[in-house]
Amino acid sequence: MTNNEAKFILNAYRPSGRDADFPAMATALAQARNDPALGAWFAREQAHGAAVAAKLREIAPPAGLREAILTGARMSGPAAAPRRAWWTQPGWLAMAASVAVLLSLAAWWRLAPVRGGTLEEFAVNFVDRGFRLQKHSADVGELKAWLNEQHRPLPEALPAKFAELRALGCRTVDFQGREISLTCFERGGKEFHVFVARRDFVPDGLESAAPRFLERGKFAAATWTDAKNNYVVVSDAGMDAVKRLF
Amino acid sequence: MSNEAFTQLVDAHYTPLYRFALSLARREADACDLVQQTFYIWATKGEALREASKAKAWLFTTLYREFLRGRRRDARATSLEDLPPGEQDIAAEEVDRVAKMDAATVVAALQSVEEIFRAPLTLFYLEDLSYLEIAEALEVPIGTVMSRLSRGKTQLRAALAREEQAGRSKVVPFDGAAERKPA
Repeated sequence: MTNNEAKFILNAYRPSGRDADFPAMATALAQARNDPALGAWFAREQAHGAAVAAKLREIAPPAGLREAILTGARMSGPAAAPRRAWWTQPGWLAMAASVAVLLSLAAWWRLAPVRGGTLEEFAVNFVDRGFRLQKHSADVGELKAWLNEQHRPLPEALPAKFAELRALGCRTVDFQGREISLTCFERGGKEFHVFVARRDFVPDGLESAAPRFLERGKFAAATWTDAKNNYVVVSDAGMDAVKRLF
Repeated sequence: MSNEAFTQLVDAHYTPLYRFALSLARREADACDLVQQTFYIWATKGEALREASKAKAWLFTTLYREFLRGRRRDARATSLEDLPPGEQDIAAEEVDRVAKMDAATVVAALQSVEEIFRAPLTLFYLEDLSYLEIAEALEVPIGTVMSRLSRGKTQLRAALAREEQAGRSKVVPFDGAAERKPA
């Protein structure tokens, strides 16, 4: 076995040792023990893998997922007796009726204007109500070109940490009859929504170039300005995550 | 399966399933949907699937299939000729780089790895499945899993380096077309 062949196999070795009995793994491990260069490579590889795995283990499911799974399963799962087609079970029928009512309410709610006297209040309420993106792309240049075609304001520059976010898309939004833009980013499953309004469009004046932070219910937000625009970023990732963007 | 047993099953597996789903789907809401859908299928498929010893592998396999089913097939299917080179040596400072990053940044880097490599790579780091189980879940030979793992690691290291570089710059221009001058 050459060292390159050994590396290919050892690349798949996990620190728990559960793969030690994998074919050829024992041979490759022995080779790593006897070859200092290969051994050093293997040690670095394992350390890197352990570091990534540790970070991955830090990711926790969002609150409520467990309860949603269990509640959903109780409505449709094997414990329901006598067994009937799931769509004829009383729970599902009741849920269907509830959904119909909720859809009616949602239709009404979607037609109602989003409230908010200031840009940040409006932005939080807009995100809270839910919306659809009009342009999907991970390419910020493409998003900017699209917003430009819609004659909407563009971010001149974003704080450095925004470069760590992945663009999702954008859309146009109307605020008090003014044309503003919304660009959405994502990181680690959490979304960050950036509203941009031209400064002359927002008379209440978000005058500070330094970010101002605020919390509204489950949302954290920050507002700031540059030479041309007022910005508001809204996220449900928590205030710490928003502050880390600046 | 009793409610109690089902609860135990959920408690044992929903966290690693969520991490796997998040790496695939990239968005929290989509990841939650995938996990819920997976347990929903378990709860409604009947007694035939209820081999406790195989539950974990079944759940990961089902989640992956639901992910594939739910998204459009990428038209830019990666051919073997397109695969990037693997087997690049790792530098010692790369370990420190990961240790200093926060978890969300590392996950974001993992999410940027091409999907064909991302699924085996995430399952590798989660350590919930054996290679045989990973191969079955992805429906590829074990040798292919190892090959994709090698190339996935190369992509991940490049992505981690990009994340670190991005964190260093002070102000990031919003690249793209020039802004239209307002009338």
